Amino acid sequence: MLDGGSQLTETIYALRISNNKRLQRERIFLYIFVAFLVIAVMFPFIWILILSFKPSEDFFAWPPKVFFSPTFDHYLGLWEGEFPKSFWNSLVTSVGSTVIALLFGVPGAYALSRMAYKTGSRLSLFILASRMAPPIAFTIPYFLAYRYIGLHDTLFGLILIYLTFNLSLVIWLMRSFFDAIPRTLEEAAWIDGATMWQGFTKIILPMSGPGLAATAILCFLYSWNDFFFALILTRTEATTAPVAVVNFLDHEGWQWGKIAAGGTMVMMPVLVFSIAVRKFLISGMSAGAVKG
Amino acid sequence: MATNLMRDPEDLRQKFYWFCLWPAFIVLIVVTLAPTIYLFVISFTPMDLTRPETSWDFSNPLGQYQIILEDKRLHNSWWVQAKLSFWSVLIQMIMGFMFALLLNVKSKVLEALRTVFLIPMVLPPIVVAIIWKVLYTPDISPFHWMAEGLGFVVPSLITDPTWALWAIIIADIWEWFPFVMLMILSALQMMPEEYIEAAKIDGANVWQMTWYVTMPYLKGVLIVAALFRIVDSIKAFPLIYILTDGGPGSLTEVTNYYSFMQAFNFSYLGYSSAITVTLVLATIFASWGIIRLVGWGKPID
Repeated sequence: MLDGGSQLTETIYALRISNNKRLQRERIFLYIFVAFLVIAVMFPFIWILILSFKPSEDFFAWPPKVFFSPTFDHYLGLWEGEFPKSFWNSLVTSVGSTVIALLFGVPGAYALSRMAYKTGSRLSLFILASRMAPPIAFTIPYFLAYRYIGLHDTLFGLILIYLTFNLSLVIWLMRSFFDAIPRTLEEAAWIDGATMWQGFTKIILPMSGPGLAATAILCFLYSWNDFFFALILTRTEATTAPVAVVNFLDHEGWQWGKIAAGGTMVMMPVLVFSIAVRKFLISGMSAGAVKG
Repeated sequence: MATNLMRDPEDLRQKFYWFCLWPAFIVLIVVTLAPTIYLFVISFTPMDLTRPETSWDFSNPLGQYQIILEDKRLHNSWWVQAKLSFWSVLIQMIMGFMFALLLNVKSKVLEALRTVFLIPMVLPPIVVAIIWKVLYTPDISPFHWMAEGLGFVVPSLITDPTWALWAIIIADIWEWFPFVMLMILSALQMMPEEYIEAAKIDGANVWQMTWYVTMPYLKGVLIVAALFRIVDSIKAFPLIYILTDGGPGSLTEVTNYYSFMQAFNFSYLGYSSAITVTLVLATIFASWGIIRLVGWGKPID
């Protein structure tokens, strides 16, 4: 065992530093090993995809049916129920919160990037702590306030609470994007007679397009993935898709087909967007602590 | 405007920056700082939603904190939290490190495969919980079918007292080891190749190379990744909510979950707030640690 591991590690270091032809056999061995690991890691995820197409009558069949004729029944069932509404709610709250967070956060991030170092570092603890605080810390006060001012079970109420993580995420990420753009660019524009606001909107913003897109997608994903806030702050009207899926577990008696299909619907936008911003995901998740 | 900029540029610039910063700052205060202060205020009252007169009762401000000291079930939740965080983070670090070494090879195929490892950690947490609910439910789980086919009778992990916490830990590891892996991988890619070459020339074997060259190089990333994972593991909610609901008994009831139950099942918002305040303080402490280690926006070296 140790010998095998040693052999493998040796191969990895060797492959890291050379493209040697001699190592062709080791390379193939490594590929097979990695392919095996990938399948093992992906299996739980693939299983739920398969289940969502499996006819209900085959779910509990013994011996288990590996081959079955796929059906769209579960998806059609979802379409006829309340699910489309909650899917729409998820979409509205995620997009709404992302837009508001960008509107307030982007100019703020620009200012922080161009201001003195000290101010930025003093704010950083506040921003990081608000990202890392357990959601229940915000949920209790919001729950009480919303009951009082009538925002309970409303889409706007959710949009507002999603700002607790989205705004700090925008400030944190966009600041590091702006840091990468040299100051000489806007200084040149000022000398040519541009105002500071023009320097920001006409020079800097167009240059940070990719950063803006990545940040927007991350905000969208965080809001889309939220379960806890929506569980507590909504009841019937503003229910989001994740909560609706869980309701299939609780109230409607273990409809595995619907659960699998609903789960698949909820994860699809996430998969598409994540692959689009895979480069920024790590720095976004670690709130910029490591620049990848 | 241009002449203004020339006359007193620095002063004007600072004014403009504050003008850009204020709206964000005010919103941040309204949506995060104000609720946090409110949370502290609630924690000094015995607020109980079923008894309205308790809402603004400050007659015994530290009462809820005294209950914290005596509540055995809460102390149990700390212990459960410690076990969950320790095992899941430890195994994630080890797996993340091994997978990162494995994938850190110059190869187009493996680079493409890295994207696949993103999937568990970007999936909505609720979907992750549902996936594992399926895998842990004997009737429809392929694992249980396999075990049965081989002649073993395996209890349902999530209802079995000895295994329930491990069922959560396993699901949590699956969800988050890719995070550690990708962080380590991005650090490994910036590791100068001379390090490996030099160690080779000095006659280091692969284990020595890993232990004396790669590990010290990764120290910063490993600490930061572990801190992030520890803080996030304190927030674990969907997995526990869906898989075990804190049970069997209170064997998988972590502090965050217990606080949720106090607030929204038993409607003791005052007591729940006091518990949550302790969690927030722990979080601020950990964030402060991360900033001390990483610096503000500076890359790790």
